[in-house]
Amino acid sequence: MRALVADPDDSQDVIVAPATPPGVSAVAVLRLSGPAGRALAVARRLAPQLPERPPPREALLCRLVADGREVDEALVLFFPAPRSSTGEEVVELHPHGSPAIVEALLAAAREAGARPARPGEFTRRALAHGKLDLAQAEGIAALAAAEDRGVARRAFGLVQGELTRRVTAVREELLDALAELEATLDFPEDMGLRDAAGTAGRLFELKRILLELLAGSAGAPAERRPVVVLAGRPNAGKSTLFNALLGRDRVIVTPVPGTTRDAVAETVRIGERSVRLVDTAGLRSTDDQVERIGVDVARRAAAGADLLLYLVDGRAPASEEDVAALETLRPAVVVRTKSDLWGGGEEGLAVSAETGEGMDALRRLVAERLSGTECEGELPALERHRQALAAAAEALAEAAALSEEPLMAAALRRALHALGEITGETASEELLDRIFARFCIGK
Amino acid sequence: MTGTRWDVIVVGGGHAGCEAAAAAARLGCRTLLVTSEPSALGRMSCNPAIGGLAKGQVVREVDALGGLMGLAADRTGIQFKVLNASRGPAVRGLRCQSDKALYSAEVARLVAGLPGLEVARGTVAALSVESGRLAGLVLEDGSELACGAAVLTSGTFLRGLVHVGDRRSEAGRWGEPPAVSLSGALQGLGLRLGRMKTGTPPRVRRDSLDFARMQRAPGDPSPSAFSYRSRGERFPALPQVDCHLTHTNARVHELIRRSLHLSPLYSGAIVGRGPRYCPSIEDKVVRFAERERHQVFVEPEGLSTDWTYLNGLSMSLPPDVQEAIVRAIPGLERAEILRPAYAVEYDMVYPEQLDDTLQTRALPGLFLAGQINGTSGYEEAAGQGVVAGVNAGIACGRVAKPPFVLGRAEAYIGVMVDDLVTLGTEEPYRLLTSRAEHRLLLSADSAYARLTPKAIAWGLMSEAEAAPILQREERVARLSRALEEARLCPDAGTVARLGGAGIALSEETTLAGLLRRPELPAERLLPFLEELVPGAGRDREELERVQGDLRYAAFLERERETARRLAVAGGRRIPEDFPYRGQPGLSAEAVEKLERHRPRTIGQAGRIPGVTPAAVALLLARLTLRGRQASS
Repeated sequence: MRALVADPDDSQDVIVAPATPPGVSAVAVLRLSGPAGRALAVARRLAPQLPERPPPREALLCRLVADGREVDEALVLFFPAPRSSTGEEVVELHPHGSPAIVEALLAAAREAGARPARPGEFTRRALAHGKLDLAQAEGIAALAAAEDRGVARRAFGLVQGELTRRVTAVREELLDALAELEATLDFPEDMGLRDAAGTAGRLFELKRILLELLAGSAGAPAERRPVVVLAGRPNAGKSTLFNALLGRDRVIVTPVPGTTRDAVAETVRIGERSVRLVDTAGLRSTDDQVERIGVDVARRAAAGADLLLYLVDGRAPASEEDVAALETLRPAVVVRTKSDLWGGGEEGLAVSAETGEGMDALRRLVAERLSGTECEGELPALERHRQALAAAAEALAEAAALSEEPLMAAALRRALHALGEITGETASEELLDRIFARFCIGK
Repeated sequence: MTGTRWDVIVVGGGHAGCEAAAAAARLGCRTLLVTSEPSALGRMSCNPAIGGLAKGQVVREVDALGGLMGLAADRTGIQFKVLNASRGPAVRGLRCQSDKALYSAEVARLVAGLPGLEVARGTVAALSVESGRLAGLVLEDGSELACGAAVLTSGTFLRGLVHVGDRRSEAGRWGEPPAVSLSGALQGLGLRLGRMKTGTPPRVRRDSLDFARMQRAPGDPSPSAFSYRSRGERFPALPQVDCHLTHTNARVHELIRRSLHLSPLYSGAIVGRGPRYCPSIEDKVVRFAERERHQVFVEPEGLSTDWTYLNGLSMSLPPDVQEAIVRAIPGLERAEILRPAYAVEYDMVYPEQLDDTLQTRALPGLFLAGQINGTSGYEEAAGQGVVAGVNAGIACGRVAKPPFVLGRAEAYIGVMVDDLVTLGTEEPYRLLTSRAEHRLLLSADSAYARLTPKAIAWGLMSEAEAAPILQREERVARLSRALEEARLCPDAGTVARLGGAGIALSEETTLAGLLRRPELPAERLLPFLEELVPGAGRDREELERVQGDLRYAAFLERERETARRLAVAGGRRIPEDFPYRGQPGLSAEAVEKLERHRPRTIGQAGRIPGVTPAAVALLLARLTLRGRQASS
């Protein structure tokens, strides 16, 4: 019989988790959150020098202890409830970023009565304590997952509540309009004739604002990084360029044509963007079965690229095979490689992976070409926000077009309901599930 | 009386009490109605009128559940008017002026006609409790009454205090003694009581009024009735009268302002909270100082009395000031005041201490209905009376049915009870159409379709009694279908004929299609209707119903869909003993509120002030998790 998951009475638990990703780094952050007194009690087991009543939000240098030994000396911060990230009592430890130290501290925390946090649990507690509204909680998820600055900027905007602020302003006006309608219906003798034209005008204006918000909002943070494929005939210098862009030797480079048999992809920052760079097998007809597969893969990669860089060895003029290849591929930027060997300066982009000549220009060009793949909007929003804005705008349009007050009122309520989905006033279970499914531990 | 063990005892013979007693009796309970004054059954304390906006819908709902109010109002109405007539069926409210004396007599007659229902004189002083349940009531004279369940409908009588200027007297209503001991008994159960106030305007003698200086306010020439049962009778039964309209002016306002210190409301002598939407004239003048005039409706209180009611002029200033104020109003210069305006302060029970069957959580078997729950209005009281009466019948063991609870998309009564027990109230609660988020579904027209099947299911109406109602619903549906099938082609002849009646026809449509046009009144189509669908115009009301249904069909369907979705999300039941305290992430405030209100559903939980949407979402997640665990 499957063991039943114990029905945890765990709102009173102290939870612990690292807030930094695993791996080696200078500093790691461990967070403890729990009811007043209890989180601190756990922390004082790990940092016995912590006073009984530490000064709030002051960095204290403490010795950290685990398994009876001293493991580190680090800064500790104490955040008494309710002014903390979760609204509960929070203690942060900032040990050196050694996985061994972090692991030891986590074990010690468990020993002291803390429980490893479940995915998204810190944020759920913050939500429950009113520290965040739903849009902001989603922003944190996006921020944590953000790998390039554009996404991070948008996600941070969400966290700051930009969207919430703008939507709330519209909601307030809608509530006013609804109140006026309701007053007209319930107290006709006191209200006199309604200014129908005025109301319709106001509703059209609000609809316009919502559509503006919709148009100016960024699409879903680009979770899919744009793909840049290096294609070309064998020995055109693809792998060398690949390694150079990566800043390290990832792929094997030999003078023997046909070395690269496979498509190799790596994530690399080019300019502000986080990009998937793909090195492919040189395009040629071959009898070698493995190589032939590699060529097929290369063609497919090229077809699916957001940007295709077709590399040509600058020493040789464009051969017939190059021309033929280019015709079968999607439009590409032609890059003449190995400029150190032929002097460069020809038309088109010339680079030398060896000397670095032309590499900056190449990076700039890539960034420029890719700037169309993200919507550069001012207002951060997720897809569900955009849907809610659209639904609200539609309801407002309907309200403005109707002349019977009860029908208008019903349409306005629908609009309010839709806007409430952004700020969380009309949250639903499925919504919450979807949001929290994106979290990782420690956030 | 004392020897019998009653199934249900109803305390109080007002609008809530009579409906509660009637409902229990109709369900087959041996019912006793105890009242301090048996001759005052169904007495209207204030406005000589029944119905109005939202209230008119409630009267229909009470009627659809087999109650008394609609029938009594139809038989004793002296003016009928549909309010908000031009604003669509969802917000139209039927209202009638009543002959107060005849209304009360009619209610008493209807009550007397119910088998199994007895009326007795007495004032309840205490409750007897056995094994944590209500076992009976004790009267002031010491006699004890045993019962299975009781419904308290004490209205404004609990420690009632009447204020006129600085003169105070203990009374539940002018000239009627208050109930003094019952409040203590309720507090003894652990119930928290509050204090509220309500005011009523002066009554003046009709002969002393100059109607020529007022505006005439007649009723509808072809009035509609509240109750379906009135169709078989002569309606209206009584001669119809006019009301009149006048207004206050700057001089009146000045007089009031100068006398505010004499008003117990402003001098602090009245502690109770009054209603926001039925303010006294002192309130109006102070809060709406920029208004130069406030309306005063002059309404007769009956056909054979010269008592006249000044609607809009409730106040608690001293009598001499009242006289000066009244006489400053056009048409009332020589008015003789028969009874001054007064305010009555009374105890009420905070309704969040009740569950959605109106039973007190403090004492199983004890139900509360009407003004004691903090509402104001005869109709609000009547609606609660029906709910409490049915549930008392179930609680006493006589009626083997599930709890009688109406939803927010089912009836205004449902909205009201849910608001009261979930949100509580700090001021006298009055129904407004805007309280109903599904207002489109709650039109007076649809009351029977919504509620009569329920009445049959719970035994409030027999199938035979309900037959005429259901037949009419069937007729309306058939008419609607016939109109959808009556095709009209734009051939020359048809176009010409319709054009003659001012109806344009450019493409093929049906009669239903024509009726859908908002600018087309049904009357203009009548001759054509009759031709294509014989009998279509026979019943004007039914035709109007069909027209309304056709026009709003799409909107109604969408509203029904919304209600369905909300019901699914909000209808998730929360177990009685759900441990809020142990839930991850619930704030202390949310836990406190949830434990206090003990909501039955997620939807109710979300409406409790202080319970955030995030808390609701967490609860929902928790319930789902529990559900999954339970089934694994």
